[in-house]
Amino acid sequence: MPSRIDTLREVLAHYSSPLTLNYPSNVVADRKYSQIPEGLRGLIERDKEKCIGCRACANVCSGKATSYYDDLEKATRTISVFHFRCTFCQHCQIECPTEAITLTKKFELATGSRDDPANYELTTLDLLRCKTCGKPFFPQKYVDKAKELLMQKIDARVANTVSADFDKVKEYCPDCRRLLSLQYDTHTKKHIWLEGP
Amino acid sequence: MVTGIDPSILDWLKKEVVPEGLAFKPLRENRVYIRVKPEDVDKLAERFVKKMGVRFIHSSGVDLGQYGVDVFYVYDFAELKPKLVVVLEARLDKDNLTIPSVGKVTWQAAWPEREVHEFLGVDFKGIPDARHQFLPFEWPNTPETGAPADQSVVTETPNPTPTAAGWHPVGISPKNALASLIPIGPYHPGVIEGQTVYVRLEGEQVVDADIKTGYHHRGIQRLIEKRGYNRGVYAAERVCGICSAHHGLTFVTCAENLYDAEVPERALYIRTLLAELNRIHSHVLWVGVAADIVGWKTGFMLTWGLRERVMDIIEAITGNRVNYGIWRLGGVSRDVPQELASKARPIVAKLKEDLLRLLPPVAANPVFKSRLVGVGPLDKATAFETGAVGPVARASNWKIDTRLTNPPHAIYDQKQISWEVVLNDGCDIYGRVLVRVGELFQSIGIVDQCLDYLSKKTGDIREVPRTIEPGSEAVGLNEAPRGEQFYYMRAGGGELPAYMVPEGKTNVQGSNTLVACRIRTPSYRNNAVLPYMLIGAALADVPIIMGSIDQCLACTDRVEVVNDKDESSYTITWDDLVKMSQKKCRS
Amino acid sequence: MLNIVGQTSISPVVVTNQGILSNPIFIAVTLIIMIPVGLFLGIIYTFLLRKLTARFQWRVGPVVTMYKDLAPLLGRSRIWQPLYDILKLFGKDNMSPSTSRKAIFLASPYLAFLCAFVAIFFIPLPGLQLLSNVSESLVITVYLLILSVMFTILGAASSGSPWSAIGARREVELFLIYEIGLVVSLFSVALIASSITGTETLTIWGIVNSTNLPMLILDPFAAILLFLVMLGKLAIKPFDIAEAEAEIVAGPYTEYSGRSLGLFQLAKVFLLYDLVTLFLAVFIAPLFSLPTGNALWFIAAIPLYVVLAVVMVFLLTVVQVLHPRYKISKGISDYGAMIAVVAILTIAMVVVLNYMGVITVVIG
Repeated sequence: MPSRIDTLREVLAHYSSPLTLNYPSNVVADRKYSQIPEGLRGLIERDKEKCIGCRACANVCSGKATSYYDDLEKATRTISVFHFRCTFCQHCQIECPTEAITLTKKFELATGSRDDPANYELTTLDLLRCKTCGKPFFPQKYVDKAKELLMQKIDARVANTVSADFDKVKEYCPDCRRLLSLQYDTHTKKHIWLEGP
Repeated sequence: MVTGIDPSILDWLKKEVVPEGLAFKPLRENRVYIRVKPEDVDKLAERFVKKMGVRFIHSSGVDLGQYGVDVFYVYDFAELKPKLVVVLEARLDKDNLTIPSVGKVTWQAAWPEREVHEFLGVDFKGIPDARHQFLPFEWPNTPETGAPADQSVVTETPNPTPTAAGWHPVGISPKNALASLIPIGPYHPGVIEGQTVYVRLEGEQVVDADIKTGYHHRGIQRLIEKRGYNRGVYAAERVCGICSAHHGLTFVTCAENLYDAEVPERALYIRTLLAELNRIHSHVLWVGVAADIVGWKTGFMLTWGLRERVMDIIEAITGNRVNYGIWRLGGVSRDVPQELASKARPIVAKLKEDLLRLLPPVAANPVFKSRLVGVGPLDKATAFETGAVGPVARASNWKIDTRLTNPPHAIYDQKQISWEVVLNDGCDIYGRVLVRVGELFQSIGIVDQCLDYLSKKTGDIREVPRTIEPGSEAVGLNEAPRGEQFYYMRAGGGELPAYMVPEGKTNVQGSNTLVACRIRTPSYRNNAVLPYMLIGAALADVPIIMGSIDQCLACTDRVEVVNDKDESSYTITWDDLVKMSQKKCRS
Repeated sequence: MLNIVGQTSISPVVVTNQGILSNPIFIAVTLIIMIPVGLFLGIIYTFLLRKLTARFQWRVGPVVTMYKDLAPLLGRSRIWQPLYDILKLFGKDNMSPSTSRKAIFLASPYLAFLCAFVAIFFIPLPGLQLLSNVSESLVITVYLLILSVMFTILGAASSGSPWSAIGARREVELFLIYEIGLVVSLFSVALIASSITGTETLTIWGIVNSTNLPMLILDPFAAILLFLVMLGKLAIKPFDIAEAEAEIVAGPYTEYSGRSLGLFQLAKVFLLYDLVTLFLAVFIAPLFSLPTGNALWFIAAIPLYVVLAVVMVFLLTVVQVLHPRYKISKGISDYGAMIAVVAILTIAMVVVLNYMGVITVVIG
């Protein structure tokens, strides 16, 4: 009997203040018993200005939600995120070199059908065309970012030379660069470390 | 934390324990891999289990294509030498896949051998139970493999009160089920996940029982093998929703044993914190579910109401309530800021107060006790013989806890964090309730100590992984809320066939993926004990006995129908299935 | 032949001709009004049972007035929620298993519902005698309440499913226990009433009008006994052993769906109304009988009756919330022991009352 009285006391403790809330009215505005925390891993959003089209996110995606498609006729690269397959693991957010991806606090992701366009997030970037063969290869922003990262790690004595070399080849696709390097010298013939530029 | 093997232990193994061993290779963390001849396996099993009293952990097989099949057996020597786990391997040729069965020596190996027999086609001579484990009983089987051609045959149990060694499985056919056997499942309100337990009743008493699992096979082991280490963590987390943190922890423990990992201390504390928070939520969930099965919905609602606070703390730390996503090779991915840790401490203290006010009256309720005391008996000798793990074994007064003997890569040393193993000698369901409630409060103590450390100190949280040697193997163990969990991994790459190796090069290739990943969850072992506990119980006790081992099963695959008259087969698609069930209902 | 004659210090209420209230046409009109009123009162008590259970479990439960942002979609008031659930069931397919005896399987819900429904006419409300003055209405009511359960068992047994078979067997075992309690409780009250009025009173209206002191005070053990019987009949935990979902799917109701299941639920709604009103009518009798010439009492008595009915439902909920379900073997032994003990005390109380001279029972 005493255990039942204790249980009754516990039962009556929340009689007038139940733990369940009315959804959706009270949830987002007035959650009395729990808040939506700052670090919630919700919907993926991509900043289209910052994205450089490097495809690192597609490489590390755990659930194969992020993928890319290069359209060679229109010379565009489209990176698409299919929200249904996302496992909210944050790999893409951690690996993105320009921090273009954030996992927001949105968790109400249901849509009416699988083909609803709201399920996909598409980011389209233009690809540069090679000067000789005309094949599209990399987006412009990717090339700029590559140069920026390269210049950060280069010793100051050779920075100018490397920068000039890079500018000579950056408008050619990888196949044409190989041919280019066979055709003419891109370097001076001096040993720049010992003798200076 | 990562050490080589003590040479004296290696000597002891070579001379006294396994003199028949062909090759001895030390694995990390004091573990050894021993290659033996296939004929010696049952002799060694007799020596280990019967004479030395060693526990059997798991056995499985790795299919290596033209090289044959590697069948391995894992034994836990941690009672005799600290942290020693021995992996015996035998390689079988593809045209001679026979090996003596260890299942006839100890029941603990019966279910793993059933699985290897079903998936890889290995013939175990003398296997006690050769029926299908994952496929339906009606799937056709050829007589050479030792199983009866039609497994859906009712066999009478010769001895209605069996001992663990003499227990015979009851094969039933679904046609006979309604006549004399009651199938509990696959859909039943008292059974939480999909399984079928066949019971034969006399009045309201169970005379015979059998269990069929396999409704939930998702092929996660294969997924992990193909996705590699980093993406495989996410697949491993999703094996189970309730103990997802522990699957993540065991996965990273096992993967870190493949290379020389040095995990920073702060990361270890964060791992312990999350593992113990997971244990708290799992045990509170279990108390609620046990109350619900017994019929007390109020107990269910009240305990789950308190569980919400644990989920809120977890959500604030990791960003999600169930799949934490912070397990990485070499550490964790997200730090716990010091303010968050100090804000969480009073919440945990208040939770402990409220649980102390709620759980003792719940456990002392006379009707609740009358449903649970004396039900589902399992004494200590039977627990060892059939291989129970976790709270089920601790409630039979058997002190096994993987956190003491084979700890994962987290802080469980009793000198650094103070905690106790909770035992109870009730040997029935009420004992299991008390063990779980006791463990819950121990976990709250551990969580408080971890939060104390995290709120006061700072540090690194991750170390970048180094290279993994191709072809290396590792094992990892952990104490999930339900018992002992075991992962085995064999890294990809390894020997190439000789004709593919260029002149003057080594014949080892690297690979980003795994060759084998084998997961053995604690429920795998406890489910094998279930039919033994059900015999002699009343029908009203069957769901609560099933609930007391805290079952955790998973989801179904596609259905394929084989027509045995003309041996044609066709696959049923989802739309066909929907039309078939609609047609059947309207008749 | 038991002839009960006696006189006492408790005076019976003098039942004079109450004018319009005994007029047969008036009674016929009240019977027709009773059909929706009985249904609605039963629904309100069922709603209260669910709402109070929810509040005890720290939940909100079914709402009386819907939230403002959802009211346009779902309607303003949800107090008729149990009725909407039953109406929803009426719209679904009514399937019967191939192993069942279809005639009995499909007819049992109608008969069970009919028995519980007809019983509402024999139980009076404050001031309205309905059919409770028909001779031997107490016996008729007891029979109807028993038959309602028996048709449930019959339907379950005819369905051919092992779950229903087990459920029916458990229901029979419990039924044998609590029906004895029902009979002992009501007939000992009838015994007391008869000895007060001096004539054999087997009508509920007669019991209601027999005394100006509530039977609750004269023989409290009979009230406790009837409360225990209500726990069994209404399947309140810890005695809802027959309908245990975790063990035997839904017990007797496993194979029922659609209209048949809706009728069973409706029978349970009426049964709740029947038992609560019967308890109040028999044990708080002065509330229901009409003092001569005082029509204002009639207006005050109905809300008071509803308040007391709410108190009864509250007590039922408290018992339901505090206990898990018994196992059948222990349930029978504990339940049987409780009912046996309280029944003996009830009869002993009648003997004590006789001994104390409050009533005189002469067996002639």
